[in-house]
Amino acid sequence: MSKRILQHPAVPAGETTVAWRSAGQLEDTAEFRQWLDREFPRAAAEMTNEEDAETSRRSFLKIMGASTALAGFGMAACRRPETYIVPYTKAPEWVIPGKATYYASSMPRACGATPLVVTTFEGRPTKLAPNNLHPDAAGTDAFAQASVLDLYSPSRSRKILKDAKVAQRADLEAAIVALAADKSAKIGFLFGADDSPTRVRLTKDLAAKYASAKFYQYEALTSDSSLGDGVKLVPDFSKADRILSLDCDFAGTDSQGPVTPFFERRKPEGKGYTAKPDASKMNRLYVVEGAFTLTGGMADHRLRIAPSQVAGIAGQVARSLGVSTSAAEISDPKHLEWVKELAADLKANAGKSIVLAGSRQSATVHQLALAINLALGNIGEGKPLLAVQTETKGLGTLASLKADIDTSAVDTLVVITPSNPIYDAPADLKFADSFAKLKTSIHLGSRTDATAHAATWHIPAAHYLESWSDARTANGVYTIVQPMILPLYVDCISEVELLLALLSNDGKLLNGEGPKGAASPSYDAVRATFTALGGEGDKAWKTLLRDGFLAGSKYTATSPSAKVASLEKSAEAPTAKSLEVIFATDSSIFDGRWIDNGWLQEAPDPISKHTWDNAALIAPATAKELGIYDLLITPEPVSTVLGIESTFAKVGPDGEGENRKQPMIEVTVNGQTLEIPVLISFGQAENTIVIPLGYGQGFDKEDELKRGPKNENHVGLVGVNRGFNAYPLRTGATSYFASGATAKPTGKRYSMALTQEHSAMYGRALAREVSTMEDEEKGAFEAQLANVAKQGNDAHAPPNVYLYEPKSSATFHPGKDGKAQPLINDPLHQWGMSIDLASCMGCNACLVACQSENNIPIVGKEQVARGREMHWIRMDRYYATQKDNTFDEGNPELVPQPVACVQCESAPCETVCPVNATIHTEDGLNAMAYNRCIGTRYCANNCPYKARRFNYFDYNKRNPLIAHNLYKGPFGEQQRGEAPHLQKNPNVTVRMRGVMEKCTYCVQRLKDAVIRQKRGQKQGALEAGKPSAEFQVTKETLRIPVDSVKVACQEACPASAISFGNLLDVEKSVIGRSKRIERNYDLLNYIGTRPRTSYLARVKNPNPKMPDAPFIGKATIHMV
Amino acid sequence: MANIFPRWSNLLPLKIAVCAGTAAAGVALAFSYYATPKTLTVGYQPSQPIPFSHKIHVDQIGLDCRYCHSFVDVAGHSNVPTGSTCWNCHQHVQRESPKLAPLHRSMDVNYPGYDGKPIEWVRVHKAPDYVYFNHSAHVNRGISCQSCHGNVNKMEVVYQAESHSMGWCLECHRAPEKNLRPLEEVYNLNYNAETYISNHPELGVKTTEDLGLKLKEEFMVKPKVTCATCHH
Repeated sequence: MSKRILQHPAVPAGETTVAWRSAGQLEDTAEFRQWLDREFPRAAAEMTNEEDAETSRRSFLKIMGASTALAGFGMAACRRPETYIVPYTKAPEWVIPGKATYYASSMPRACGATPLVVTTFEGRPTKLAPNNLHPDAAGTDAFAQASVLDLYSPSRSRKILKDAKVAQRADLEAAIVALAADKSAKIGFLFGADDSPTRVRLTKDLAAKYASAKFYQYEALTSDSSLGDGVKLVPDFSKADRILSLDCDFAGTDSQGPVTPFFERRKPEGKGYTAKPDASKMNRLYVVEGAFTLTGGMADHRLRIAPSQVAGIAGQVARSLGVSTSAAEISDPKHLEWVKELAADLKANAGKSIVLAGSRQSATVHQLALAINLALGNIGEGKPLLAVQTETKGLGTLASLKADIDTSAVDTLVVITPSNPIYDAPADLKFADSFAKLKTSIHLGSRTDATAHAATWHIPAAHYLESWSDARTANGVYTIVQPMILPLYVDCISEVELLLALLSNDGKLLNGEGPKGAASPSYDAVRATFTALGGEGDKAWKTLLRDGFLAGSKYTATSPSAKVASLEKSAEAPTAKSLEVIFATDSSIFDGRWIDNGWLQEAPDPISKHTWDNAALIAPATAKELGIYDLLITPEPVSTVLGIESTFAKVGPDGEGENRKQPMIEVTVNGQTLEIPVLISFGQAENTIVIPLGYGQGFDKEDELKRGPKNENHVGLVGVNRGFNAYPLRTGATSYFASGATAKPTGKRYSMALTQEHSAMYGRALAREVSTMEDEEKGAFEAQLANVAKQGNDAHAPPNVYLYEPKSSATFHPGKDGKAQPLINDPLHQWGMSIDLASCMGCNACLVACQSENNIPIVGKEQVARGREMHWIRMDRYYATQKDNTFDEGNPELVPQPVACVQCESAPCETVCPVNATIHTEDGLNAMAYNRCIGTRYCANNCPYKARRFNYFDYNKRNPLIAHNLYKGPFGEQQRGEAPHLQKNPNVTVRMRGVMEKCTYCVQRLKDAVIRQKRGQKQGALEAGKPSAEFQVTKETLRIPVDSVKVACQEACPASAISFGNLLDVEKSVIGRSKRIERNYDLLNYIGTRPRTSYLARVKNPNPKMPDAPFIGKATIHMV
Repeated sequence: MANIFPRWSNLLPLKIAVCAGTAAAGVALAFSYYATPKTLTVGYQPSQPIPFSHKIHVDQIGLDCRYCHSFVDVAGHSNVPTGSTCWNCHQHVQRESPKLAPLHRSMDVNYPGYDGKPIEWVRVHKAPDYVYFNHSAHVNRGISCQSCHGNVNKMEVVYQAESHSMGWCLECHRAPEKNLRPLEEVYNLNYNAETYISNHPELGVKTTEDLGLKLKEEFMVKPKVTCATCHH
């Protein structure tokens, strides 16, 4: 039986762009072909021949017969089970059962708090969204979106530990009483890098109480400000025409300030698509970096270079701009030319540009960046950069803490930092040894990590959604952190509560709720802080609680001066013999603190697309040089069938194939060795190895490499056996990158769950790109814009002819003439979406937001490896380069493209469903009736966008993280009734096994908005003051206000790349305007599905004078 | 060799087939009648912890539905009253009635068995988990409580009056005019369309059906019948 495959048209002749997703596709390997041709990876459990099918059909009938017969006994099912409705005895204010209540709060972070609006259902926080009232609102990232899951994490610390054993609370309280009474205690406090005004105030009180108290600050991946104590530069991207990032991932893991204005200026039509396209209104981004980051992917011009060389480039820029520097001139002529034109562009835009240095780069780079900014006049009020003085000053470092412990200046330590210093401190500091010398150490944390186990006392920390506190955002706006719920577990204590107990004379530890339902003492403390800032009285306080921030508050500006150290000699460039290791911040787990968050672990890394682990990333050229390239692109030859070696993986213990094992290499640096699987990474500087940090925190006996049991109880089921710990390789001096590394293959392999070839889509001109620069063939910017809708073969594709006019059943709503109306006939709402590729960076915020809104389960590493991840949004990431790229052929463009169900008006999935489980709604959604679905998967097979996901197992009910649990069927361990289920959105069905699911434009939110609008009719009727039967309802009464409903992905997007709304609002709405601009195109337009989600072509704004300019802005992706 | 099977057995297979067929058809018919919500759920009348009488509270005293089910017009879920709603009156009225013992246990701090725990009312009407039903969408558009819950004002003990099956929902979604009322009459459980028409001659409608059609037109009521209306 042959499979009918839609043959996409060939790539047009003369196409200069080469595009690919993975090394396998680029090299066209056998394994890649397998993903392409087969529905399932080879050796996933499936029926291979007719005989198999016949047997299992018979055994199925046998078992069904037996169970039906058994079901007849007992008649237990005949009686309706009694269920109860249990109302409140005394209803809490504002709580309406079944209706969400929204509160303003924020998530404290080292880079400035993220202002949030929290959705709660009957007191349960379920979903986080940005607080768009806030002056520093900039969407949310994946971390902020996923942080709500931590509240309900089953592995969350909930018991007090003494010396790593469960202890009584009374004993802890006694210890704190003793400490509070001892005013001469040599006590130290280790805080995180987030800025909390209440903490600052309490710190002063603590210093007054304890004469010898000392205060420190530590976060693993945040370096000390080299600009001055507590001084930082905050960018205002709306004012920046040119941006140079010196290894600064400001849009990703190295946030410098609100990033949304940057993305608004990537759109030639401006914010909200209100203006005519104008290239001069766009900003231009130059990035110098080692390996692709999200920011690097957005760059108009990107220079790939090892991090050690960044200082040389910065020095060269400074020199070109006339900033006095003794830096040696860089030698590479290509780089010299690149820098020359870059500097000229910066100079031409002096006062309207920003130079950002990566916060993990050296002080030299920071000082150079500061000197350049000062020379260009970029810093000051009303300028794109503002130097501010934060309140976190006068704090020691981890190194000074160690020195103080060693000299016995500190013998009692309170560890509050969200980092995990025993695990993530630089290896040469030997912090753990000093930590062990402490008389008493108190660790407050939400995980029982290495530090919790090393400390005398571990106190479970209350989540930020459970505690009163305050924070400052990047620009210093005073922002409240208010609790949504009492701590889920009675012993969870917040930072402010612990500090207050130490400050009090009696040392009484009060948490959660005060006596007789009074507020926690932290409430009074926060309110006292606020009173000093925002004034007395309930009015100001209530405004703060409602808005979430104090209007007008900000950091004081300061004016730093540059102290450029002399740069006599630029660092040696790495070679194949002496590689450079980059200790990268991980996009999924940051510094390791999110290792127990399943949503983040399963979200594919935005660049390398691997999940659940880390891996060493190397450039293809380096891999070839090290002799491992061939190993990397061929799958492991492990099984032999009848003596013939097969290239496909053997069948694992669960009866399914073990897919994709990556070869491992041994990396030696700083005298330490790490064995780690390796992946190809395009666009990375040669002779560098990127190793993301934070993994390898604990292993149990199920570990693939038999590393366990080791530190098993440091992590939960999500974090156990995950990845490889690179922290031991890192020293204080080489905290970001280390030179002189060697690498060699070890012959071992390790399973990786990579999603880059899953649900791969094919077709012409999937992602389209244009350039503001005039091109010989493609013409000027205007011509390129006009050509967007004709790219691929859309210019000459014949119009779609319908054999049958789309009709609905004549029995429903016949029109005035008595004839059937078209099915999509709602006169009030017709939903549509557009995704702007000019501002999408591919960061996963939408993917995690969707997961949290729509009750999407995680499936675990093994299932991801088999292509069964459930994310409704698939973040495609393409690489594209020009065939004749003479500037740097190893530096492709990175093109992200989020794809969810595009809600085709002529949906191929609907016509093949045998049970009508997926059908269209009147307002244009391609809806899923889960309770009707019988799981034939025909729809997924027929979906050209590969946007449908199937529940192969009961991922919601049975814990996929317990080894082999899914395969035990009804005997598997259930996770019903566990805390994570409290996070579920009550308005979305929790799907079971055997059901297809996909994006439905957050139909529950649309329903809610439409129904709320209907209530206006009653108001209108009441106001009219006559019998309601005389009251005329108009379309305007029933149509929701323009742009008033937001879907989860759109709301979360920090880049405002997603527009959504009612197409019938036409130009009044953002969506209406976005559909009318020239960049708008339909994905796979030529197959005639008429999707409701369209894409806006990516725009690059290259500098025509730059040497790499001719190769930029042509990354239109064809996948054939 | 003698015939093993006697002559009469020739027709046996046919007879068995006819009997089996009849039996199967009977089972199918019985199942399709008895195993539907119409039979299985209509009339479900569990006993409640407090024998609360809607007849007394609504018909005799004249309480509005929304006094107790206070969020029915703003939320999807029609709430069951909190203990304090009952206690507002019953700390004064019928305080000593033994039937109110569960309320005392939950609300009356001076009551010997006071535990402050809420009363567990037995659920009478239940939509399956996969059905999204929103009360406010219906009562604000002219569908009365009565249309789905029956004459609650006459019920001593609440029971399920309608089948609440999908077919039953669709009946009204296809022809809402049969149940539409003026908005001010939604909570009037003694509403009579004919009386309303005679009191409001200015509306210019003669029959109850005309009134329904007029309301449907003026309110722009166009209920949806696609799956995602209730299943998502």
